[in-house]
Amino acid sequence: MASVCLYFEVHQPIRLNRFSVFNIGNEGSNLSYFNKKLNQQIFEKVAKKCYLPTNNLILDLIRNYDGKFKVSYSLTGTFVEYCQQFMPELIDSFKELFRTGSVDMIEETYYHSLSSLYENMDEFEDQIKMHNKMIKNLFNYHPRVFRNTEAIFDNRIAKKASEMGYKGIITEGTEKILSWRSPNYIYKPVNSDIKVLLRNYTLSDDIGFRFSARLWKDHPLTADKFAYWINHNEGDLVNLFMDYETFGEHHWEDTGIFDFLNHLPREVFKHKHIDFVTVSEAVERYEPVGEIDVPRAISWADEDRDVSTWLGNDMQIACFNELKNIGSKLKEKGNNELINTWRRLQTSDHLYYVSTKGLEDGDVHAYFSPYDGPYDGFINYMNILQDLKAKLF
Amino acid sequence: MKIAMIGWEYPPFKAGGLATHCYGLTRSLTDKGVKVDFFMPKTKKSASSDKDNLRIIEVGETEIFPYDRPDSKEIGGNFFEAVYYYNRIVVSKVEKYIKAGNNYKAVHCHDWLTMKAGIEIKEKWGIPLVLTIHSTEYDRSGWIYPNQWFIDIEKEGMKKADKIIAVSHFTKRVIVDKYGINPDKISVVHNAVYPIPKGHKQGIVLFLGRLTIQKGAEFFLRAASIVKNFEPETKFVVAGDGDMLPRLITQSIDMGISDKVIFTGRLTEEEVKHIYGISSVYVMPSVSEPFGITALEAISAETPTIASKTAGFSEAFKNCLRVDFWDTDEMANKIISLLRYEPLHKTLAKEGKKEIELFTWDRVADKTIDVYCGVI
Repeated sequence: MASVCLYFEVHQPIRLNRFSVFNIGNEGSNLSYFNKKLNQQIFEKVAKKCYLPTNNLILDLIRNYDGKFKVSYSLTGTFVEYCQQFMPELIDSFKELFRTGSVDMIEETYYHSLSSLYENMDEFEDQIKMHNKMIKNLFNYHPRVFRNTEAIFDNRIAKKASEMGYKGIITEGTEKILSWRSPNYIYKPVNSDIKVLLRNYTLSDDIGFRFSARLWKDHPLTADKFAYWINHNEGDLVNLFMDYETFGEHHWEDTGIFDFLNHLPREVFKHKHIDFVTVSEAVERYEPVGEIDVPRAISWADEDRDVSTWLGNDMQIACFNELKNIGSKLKEKGNNELINTWRRLQTSDHLYYVSTKGLEDGDVHAYFSPYDGPYDGFINYMNILQDLKAKLF
Repeated sequence: MKIAMIGWEYPPFKAGGLATHCYGLTRSLTDKGVKVDFFMPKTKKSASSDKDNLRIIEVGETEIFPYDRPDSKEIGGNFFEAVYYYNRIVVSKVEKYIKAGNNYKAVHCHDWLTMKAGIEIKEKWGIPLVLTIHSTEYDRSGWIYPNQWFIDIEKEGMKKADKIIAVSHFTKRVIVDKYGINPDKISVVHNAVYPIPKGHKQGIVLFLGRLTIQKGAEFFLRAASIVKNFEPETKFVVAGDGDMLPRLITQSIDMGISDKVIFTGRLTEEEVKHIYGISSVYVMPSVSEPFGITALEAISAETPTIASKTAGFSEAFKNCLRVDFWDTDEMANKIISLLRYEPLHKTLAKEGKKEIELFTWDRVADKTIDVYCGVI
């Protein structure tokens, strides 16, 4: 193994207020769709447990290893808005990290949306441009690598990202597209000229999902053990992509997750010839070894690794279509305030809460959901969409 | 293994979930090789068995039912005496069978009514006592002025039983907290259901249950009065009989919804199946619901169900909607949503039906046999 590429997804959704059928079209009630109080509470909690301490730790590690420890981030627009509203010092902290030169920023849709799946890709492009503008304002930087919401990827999306000038794109290293091939190399889509970085899901999930699982045979996971596994993976680079909340939130501090991260660079550097790269460096340094053909969308979510997480049942499809159709009418009307609201409702989390997948995945869904199950999630979200629709006329 | 089971009702005679439970349980037990003698009162429609291992033994007549209250008019002042009398004749009948050479490994009673008989048989013959608690006095009174006489009987039975089966964790907590019973001797066994065929859905919102304080039909009517302002075509059906019927009829007139609500009175087995099948929404707004077998029946007929948050079945069941029984606005919100949003209705019907398949009497029998094995 030659390089390790660490990328963290940093996102918080905009959770909704309880909105009953009686609120639909009820102008007098003036009930906001968005639950500011709950959003602030959760944001501040996660910031204290995860964002602030992890940023500090990573900054220390970059300094201690003379900039040789490197990471990449993708910050969603909704996350940055929370920082600006509730905790501006967190933005400063990301700026300081970026100034070290060992941190890269990744592009994505501003609203962490499913707009890439609309037939018409204009909205998708608009949201990427919004995100680009935000990153430019904050960091005076234009990201070179794009990652779509939850790594949703197909030929069409890859082509669009390529046309918009991105050099690299991120998705899941699933057997569905690789079959016998290794995710530890760069690939190229059949229909466009862009380099694809594939998540090594086994090693990524060892940290992201299994780290604190006491029944896992490799528990407890130590940095030296993990570095040994990395070294024994063949290929150009191992892509460790995960939610930033892995540190301190999905796995609490007492699981030892921060110690793990703290010791990881030292243990990795013990193996000669391995270095850390940012996503931009990865796509500059390595060349594709083969092509991938992805006619049907894949993602990094759930066991299915496709879009069934958001579009897996009739309720989700109904909401998705309703949302999409409202959008085209809104744009004809050109009401900017309503378009802004509509975009906030596009955050993929709203559909994630409506998933009815059972077993293991279902437990993960329940962990993140603010609702008493997918049906309540549907009723609330659909009621809001009906209200927004009523405002069109 | 041979078990003496003392029940109260058995199809075709049926006043509540107890009959359904005893029917499903005894049939699945006998399929697994357990021999069951089922003792119950004589009724107009005689119960019979088509299983070799299952004997239905009628014990004599009584006019009390497990859901009766001492203030109910028909029984009057003789209520307590009638209960003691019936228990005495049950004991002598079971003893007759014991003396005839039936070697019962356990005596299994359901709810308060025959607990006294169970205790007497246990003490006289040394046969272990198993008790299934389908509901407690607290549930039946809706937690308003529970009657101490019932509580005392229940407490004595629970204390003297070797093992208790509770129909939900909710009920187990009541048994521990209100009756002071050691949680280690209580096993939770959720009920099951024989699936009911789906019918042609007709936009009906259904309440089905005894019209007593426990089942919360008044909350159903309050929600109906909200729903009709938004979905005026909706029909509401209140199926069942009980001491609250006159009050509920008056309530529906006062609320101006008497043209929207149909009170069916008591339905036959076939009519119950039919109404589950053709209803679009089932609502179970129970004030206190140890399990709620009717919800499983409705769901098996692909009728999406809105149930009280505390209903026992919903501890173990995901594909239903939950409300606080007193929150009639939210109940109406959910009824309207089910009527309006077809994808919601369709998904709940489909996923609910799938999940129902896990609730089999075969599983109930297995868990019950585990309990028997723990006492013999």
